[in-house]
Amino acid sequence: MTEGTQADGAAVRVRGLWKRFGEQVAVAGIDLDLPAGKFIGLVGPNGAGKTTTLSMVTGLLRPDQGTVEIAGHDVWRDPVAVKARIGVLPEGLRLFERLSGRELLAYSGRLRGLPGAEVDKRATQLLDVLDLAGAQHKLVVDYSTGMRKKIGLAAALLHNPEVLFLDEPFEGVDPVSAQTIRGVLERYTASGATVVFSSHVMELVESLCDWVAVMAAGRIRAHGPLAEVRGDAPSLQRAFLELVGADGRDASSDLDWLGGGAR
Amino acid sequence: MSAPAITPVVVRLKLSLLRNGLRQSGGRRAAYIASAVLVLLFAALQLIGLIALRGVGHAESLVVLLVAVLGLGWAVMPLFFPSGDETLDPTRLVMLPLRPRPLVRALLVASLVGIGPLFTLCMFTGSVIAVARGGAAFAVGVLAVPLALLVCVALARAVAAANVRLLTSRKGRDLAVLSGLVIAIGAQVVNFGAQRLGSSGLGELDPVAGVLQWIPPASAVGAVHAVGEGAHGTALAQLALSVAALVVLLALWSRSLTRLMTAPDGSTLQTGEKAVRERSASGLARLLPAGRTGTVVERSLRYVWRDPKTKAAWVTSLAIGLIVPVFNAWQGTGSVYFACFAAGMLGIQMYNQFGQDTSAFWMVAMTISTTRDAYAELRARALALLLITLPYATLVTVLTTAMLGAWRRLPETLGLSFALLGAMLATGAWTSARFPYSIPQEGHKNVAPGQVGLAWISIFGGMIAAAVLCAPVIALTIWWNLSADGQDLLWLLLPVGTAYGALLTLLGLRLAAPQTARRLPEILTAVSKG
Repeated sequence: MTEGTQADGAAVRVRGLWKRFGEQVAVAGIDLDLPAGKFIGLVGPNGAGKTTTLSMVTGLLRPDQGTVEIAGHDVWRDPVAVKARIGVLPEGLRLFERLSGRELLAYSGRLRGLPGAEVDKRATQLLDVLDLAGAQHKLVVDYSTGMRKKIGLAAALLHNPEVLFLDEPFEGVDPVSAQTIRGVLERYTASGATVVFSSHVMELVESLCDWVAVMAAGRIRAHGPLAEVRGDAPSLQRAFLELVGADGRDASSDLDWLGGGAR
Repeated sequence: MSAPAITPVVVRLKLSLLRNGLRQSGGRRAAYIASAVLVLLFAALQLIGLIALRGVGHAESLVVLLVAVLGLGWAVMPLFFPSGDETLDPTRLVMLPLRPRPLVRALLVASLVGIGPLFTLCMFTGSVIAVARGGAAFAVGVLAVPLALLVCVALARAVAAANVRLLTSRKGRDLAVLSGLVIAIGAQVVNFGAQRLGSSGLGELDPVAGVLQWIPPASAVGAVHAVGEGAHGTALAQLALSVAALVVLLALWSRSLTRLMTAPDGSTLQTGEKAVRERSASGLARLLPAGRTGTVVERSLRYVWRDPKTKAAWVTSLAIGLIVPVFNAWQGTGSVYFACFAAGMLGIQMYNQFGQDTSAFWMVAMTISTTRDAYAELRARALALLLITLPYATLVTVLTTAMLGAWRRLPETLGLSFALLGAMLATGAWTSARFPYSIPQEGHKNVAPGQVGLAWISIFGGMIAAAVLCAPVIALTIWWNLSADGQDLLWLLLPVGTAYGALLTLLGLRLAAPQTARRLPEILTAVSKG
């Protein structure tokens, strides 16, 4: 299954990726090799270009310039090989909400060409593991945020992809659902698959990932194994603030009247 | 709080809510005043019209129908405009120590305050003046007007209270999307009804009115007319029916109020009822072919039923596709060729296929890698459409020919219908790929801001193209109809039209598939603006 990725060790290879929306440059030339079999975090502040980058990498948005290869296959020239190998959970895009959770999995599995019986078997297991068995016949439109993320994750995992792309999978998710998602992802990477997920919560990335890429203003500021990127800084949060140049911004000199004492 | 004191409190509450609502913004105040003036003007005109009807033959039929329609309006309104009246929502009063009986009385009186009841009062008064003959009739009228009004208000309240859980939930919001549709179809029906009345007089209404005069609140006005005719027994029975209806409605309302205010809100609890639907749905799946085709057909059909926007579009198409040919045939003014309208209206559903998916289209885009995938996807969507459209268009055509007694023309009309349907599917598939646009999921808008031009190109360009594509079959129809020896060949139009339609569809899908496969990210961007 992973013959393409093991050849050079890169699950995803990005070269010279650019995207402009009118005047605004969302992604300004990204070169990046994401190693296979790792839990990879793409971190950056809001508006850094994380979603745009992930959309272009997964073939949902056409880049202005640049190439993306997944497991050695070009995303735009060889979609057959790529789309079968990746699973995606985008942010800000809907699901087919008027299907029930189970119907959604049945739909997306069969659309990917898996045999019906196998889809139903996997769907049952995924619904169980993700704690959705009780709500499987409820329409997705009536799901909570956490449940939506979980059913989206199940749909992304159903065809057993080599590389999983998750855009803000923990955004708005309650701690119990977050723990469930974490467990499933950890098990998934332990079997040799690659997870790429974006987040702006550094603590989360630090506790989950073994490889990170830091993004700000459409560029990659640093990338590599977690320890390397963190360097001498006490936490990824500090290292990140230094990288994006927000470290010196200290609020203590202003707002000195703030403190809940005298008015 | 003692029981008699509640009524003025609730009435004052309603007035304060109204006043505060108006105080919020100048625009809202202007809108309210403008609508109030319009409604009152309309009511005054109607009142004058109704008074003018006095003495006209069969006026009572029209009046009874009017009262019945108003009653229906009162029953339906709370379902479509649930947020219109906050005092309509009894769950807001749930924390107050109120007994149902005085509460019902108070809420009933409070709901008599407003433009709606005033308008209805004008209508009913006019109705009574139009049909009352003699002092006794007017005396009954004095009783009948408030009675009918109370029945209307109680009806609205009972319906709202019975459905308040529904109205505050997602399903209620779904229902509101469908409201525009009821108005659109209602307007069509009224339009045709008025045309028919204009051409053949009010006597046409007699059979309908004969039934409606026994149904409250129309029966109250029916009683006024009956007294004027000297049929005192009938009048008494009709009045009694209205009173009985009022009592029953109040009892029902009181019961659901009590239940609402004492039982927990079950809308957030999980229920087992959905499991039943699941089983019946997989029955459908067994009949469909495996793979992408069956999967997509199944999802498309589910969306026709479950997605409010899709459902509204479909019901509009189905209704107008039926109303136009059948009503025209009924009036005797129509032609069998109007039956093609059904095929045309239903074919529109093929347009903007991916826009109907909203941004969930990414799930489809992730699974389309080749032109073949795209072809299978589009073909399956066309198949789902044909499963409904083909029998329906056939039914409408047969019905129209039957009403006009033009059986000889059935084959050619069917042939034309199928050719048009095929052309609509073909152009629909192609414009879906080439000119997709977003359909906002909330509210009544069907095009996202900034994409109106795109939608016009897509729909009207497509429809003109479909008409042009159909030209050979149309030309053949005209030619054979005009030429002396062509009459015997007309039946051939059925196989020819069907084959031509099928050919056009296949061709359209073939041309649309590579466009779709190539333009996936562009389509996704275009349909994600809603």
